[in-house]
Amino acid sequence: MPMYGDLGNKLVQHAKRTQNLPHLPPYQAELVRSVAREVRDLDRDVASLLEPFQGSFDPSAEQATACTLLVNHLAIRRNKRCLLAYHRTRTDKLEELVWNGADILDLAGQPAPGPNGAAATSDANASSSLSPQEEDYVRQYSDLLAAYKGQWTDIDLTGSLEPPRDLFIDVRVLKDAGEIQTEYGAINLTKNSQFYVRQGDVERLIAQGYLQKLG
Amino acid sequence: MDIDIDDILRDVDPTLHSVPQEKRDLQDLTRAWVAERSAPELLHWPPGGLFERINNNIKRQIERVEDMTGDMDPKTNFSLIVIQTELERFKYLVRSYLRARIAKIDRHTLHYLSTDALRARLSEMELAYATRHQALLHNHYLSSFLSSFPPALQSLNDTAGQITMIDTPDLDSAVFIRLLKDSLVRGRGVDDDVSDTYDEGDILIIRWSDAKTLVAIGDAELV
Repeated sequence: MPMYGDLGNKLVQHAKRTQNLPHLPPYQAELVRSVAREVRDLDRDVASLLEPFQGSFDPSAEQATACTLLVNHLAIRRNKRCLLAYHRTRTDKLEELVWNGADILDLAGQPAPGPNGAAATSDANASSSLSPQEEDYVRQYSDLLAAYKGQWTDIDLTGSLEPPRDLFIDVRVLKDAGEIQTEYGAINLTKNSQFYVRQGDVERLIAQGYLQKLG
Repeated sequence: MDIDIDDILRDVDPTLHSVPQEKRDLQDLTRAWVAERSAPELLHWPPGGLFERINNNIKRQIERVEDMTGDMDPKTNFSLIVIQTELERFKYLVRSYLRARIAKIDRHTLHYLSTDALRARLSEMELAYATRHQALLHNHYLSSFLSSFPPALQSLNDTAGQITMIDTPDLDSAVFIRLLKDSLVRGRGVDDDVSDTYDEGDILIIRWSDAKTLVAIGDAELV
């Protein structure tokens, strides 16, 4: 027999699973709508239960009704928490993607090249799995992050969080990335070639999967 | 920040005792970074224009690197590498520090925005970021499901029924501290509370809520 909160529980299970997935599973629009509907139904029940008392409800005199009201209230709040938790888990994930430099175009389903084959398909999945509201959110959050980053132009906030050890590193080119300009002249990054370059110059390319750091 | 070979030599030279501003800034930054990464809650944004000075120094060094790259003299080339390595490390410190703060702010946004005392810990930019981020989140919830809720249930900072919706950092989580002078340390334990005097340089593991006052008055630092 389905009970109050069952649907909310499903959402939480989805959220829990999402935490351990590398990509974002599809948005459970139908489930979210059902939970919200349950909340509205429960709220209507509460209102109709209270109606005959005209605001002079005495819990100790009407214990059965008081109990029903309490259960309804708890179910409503629980559902709200479940919804919040579900959405927050997803926005956290989305924010992580934004920090990692995922382009809104990638998320919106354009066939942009991902770091590697597997990730490219997961990007494509992510695009269809966002709700329209989530797409909006990603767009706005990207703007917000860009604004905050813009105040620290010299630092590159989204750069690597690994402590830098060497100024220069060996890299191998995994995918043709064209020519880049460095202080020591132009380097032509063709596939399978190997270079000794300044880490700061190629960090972005490593993050995007064009280059692989060696050693 | 402005270190070149002469500065390094001067540091080694014991006849020179005065600590230059740049070096003190680096120490302050490193200390703030270590503390911020180990403390479970957001600490105060460093006062006294520390970050303005650091930013200016970074800018100056970047310009200097650009000036020097044109020069192919092997001698400048060596100092160029020293400066660039240092620059990368500086940038890493600042970046890691800012990211540690942003992560904490994002996790407990409403908590840090809730009182003036907590808001004062954020820098102006962080405050703007946190306010905007919270607004975005609220909007997202509203458009996703909250707007179909009864109006009384739409808020995000309910404290009804003794359950607050505002998540707060766990101030009782453990941190490592190093004592900077002999002091009396009180710690609350699971079974028993401990209170004892420890020596300067001792390293203790202790609840942050117990360590907080010691760190605030400068008798201890986070490690």
